[in-house]
Amino acid sequence: MTETPKAIAKDRAPLSGGGLRLIGYYWRRLTRNRLAVFGLAFIIFLALVAIIGPFFTPDPTEVDFEAKNLPPVGFTITHSTYDIKTDQFITTRVSGNWKHPLGTDRKGRDMLAMIVSGARVSLQVGLLATGIAIIIGTIIGVMSAYLGDWVDNALMRFTDVMMTFPFFLLLVLIVFIFGPSLAFIVLAIGLTGWTGTARMVRSESLSLRTREFVMAAKALGAGDGWVVFRHLIPNVISLIIVIATLSIPGVILAEAALSFIGLGDPTVPSWGIILEEGQHSLTTAWWVAVEPGIMLFLTVLAFNFLGDGLRDAFDPKSSV
Amino acid sequence: MRKSWLRDYIIKRLLYSIVIAWGILTITFILVRVGPSSPADKYLANLAAKGHDPAQVIAAIEARYGLDKPILQQYGEYMLNLLQGNWGWSLSTSMPVMELIKRHWIYSFQLILLSSLFAAVLGILIGIYSAVRQYTKTDYAFTFLSFIGISIPNFWLGVMLILIFSVKLGIFKTYYDTTLPLFSLANLKALVLPVITLGTGMLAAYVRYTRSAMLENLRKPFVVTARAKGLPEHVVIGKHVFRNALLPLVTIIMFDLGSIVFGGAYLTEIVFGIPGLGQVSFNAIFANDYPVVVAITLIGTLVVLLVNLTTDIIYTYLDPRIRYD
Repeated sequence: MTETPKAIAKDRAPLSGGGLRLIGYYWRRLTRNRLAVFGLAFIIFLALVAIIGPFFTPDPTEVDFEAKNLPPVGFTITHSTYDIKTDQFITTRVSGNWKHPLGTDRKGRDMLAMIVSGARVSLQVGLLATGIAIIIGTIIGVMSAYLGDWVDNALMRFTDVMMTFPFFLLLVLIVFIFGPSLAFIVLAIGLTGWTGTARMVRSESLSLRTREFVMAAKALGAGDGWVVFRHLIPNVISLIIVIATLSIPGVILAEAALSFIGLGDPTVPSWGIILEEGQHSLTTAWWVAVEPGIMLFLTVLAFNFLGDGLRDAFDPKSSV
Repeated sequence: MRKSWLRDYIIKRLLYSIVIAWGILTITFILVRVGPSSPADKYLANLAAKGHDPAQVIAAIEARYGLDKPILQQYGEYMLNLLQGNWGWSLSTSMPVMELIKRHWIYSFQLILLSSLFAAVLGILIGIYSAVRQYTKTDYAFTFLSFIGISIPNFWLGVMLILIFSVKLGIFKTYYDTTLPLFSLANLKALVLPVITLGTGMLAAYVRYTRSAMLENLRKPFVVTARAKGLPEHVVIGKHVFRNALLPLVTIIMFDLGSIVFGGAYLTEIVFGIPGLGQVSFNAIFANDYPVVVAITLIGTLVVLLVNLTTDIIYTYLDPRIRYD
């Protein structure tokens, strides 16, 4: 109770002023969270790697026969090969070099190139599939809340059914039935991952629907479309941004997991596929399993940090 | 009075679960029927290679699987068969799908049970500790660690554990030994790495849920009352705050089962070669063994449905405040 009205007002979202000022306000709240800033920085870095990286790295499918199982720079391992002529095992020491900074796999493919290509796959899948899921979820959530009655009932029962399916098991079934192409995997994740969004958007819209400004708009003669697009959706947009950011890691992991169990698109080197290969060469080339995993882990961590930061920044009750 | 509405509520929930189960089976049926490949494909390739007439083979196989009948009749028969426990024939293992599931479910069950126990016990303890010592260095450390635990891909964690503890240090076997008797110390040892693999993500999530549920209740007036009447702090925390935080926690833990745990168990089994249902489904995918892949997704879903129903019913007994009208 010691806070003066002025101090409280300072920490509130500006009530008047344009959208830019509001964005600036949320930006300041977000950047006060160091972990969220780290997350955002890593995501930007990853996006840059995914976009311009392929211009600087060799073709990820190109094979260097001279350098198979080459460790990353700074590491030395001993290879033991069987020599037919002398009928003996020859052990050679191999050190990483700058031609292949992250080493090569057992076929002699450049790890850096594969990691860069994998970043592209992960981000594409993460953003596209989440986008599809969020759009479906928002449409279903808003429709359910706004139309109410039997539409609400039918949509929510359908959501319940979809929610009962264990996400990954359903995904496995769909990709198994329809075949593993990247476009289809994106579609499958998008078409199955919308349930949480639908529920949250619905309950948020339900509470908004009875608020004074919506009633006022209706009393002034606003149509359904106007109310939905000018009042409901702008007010749930912060919720949607948070849900989207926090959904991306799950989506990226789902794609990686599908690739890992062999249901990924075999034509694109993604982190999951490299990881699967790495598991089988743990004894000879540990870095093949370690590197894509670290990237996957950092990416998921970054989105989680950012999502949490965004949630706090948008929440008027939290003090950041 | 309370008894009668409770009974009505349970009946209502049961009926509702049946409706959801019907929805699940229907969606699965549609998926399989809409899919571009059919059980005939594999035979087709084999037999066509031997010089049989493809059209004849298709007709024979479609008749064998009832695919030539009208779609509604197929739908009816599919539902009836599932209800009677006739879940189809596994082509790759040459046994009824039900038999296959009966042989392998225990491996998934033990993995999920042990991981859940490990995660719940440790997660709740750490969560309580973190909440009671909010904003201390330990709290920050646990919060940060829980972020890492949630973000670490569990199949990668499994591979890394194998790399460190099996390949480099040689403490554990790289592969799960299926010859071990289920209730033995050796089996428990073989499950250490898999349980950590599956349990870490859950553990981290439970730490976060417990912490926030505890914090929410710590601010409530009844805590002040309990302290004011001179109760020792451990009674306040253990009896008053924790018991109130427990109910929402149970819901989340049960909900996680379907959304996270089953997928995680599937991958963990594949990484460690545990012959549970995940591994069975994985093998069936490569053998193009349709009925098995479908059945295992269905089993997982129906288990989630059953668990949700049970949680709901137990809830009404546990929490006298809950009234569903």
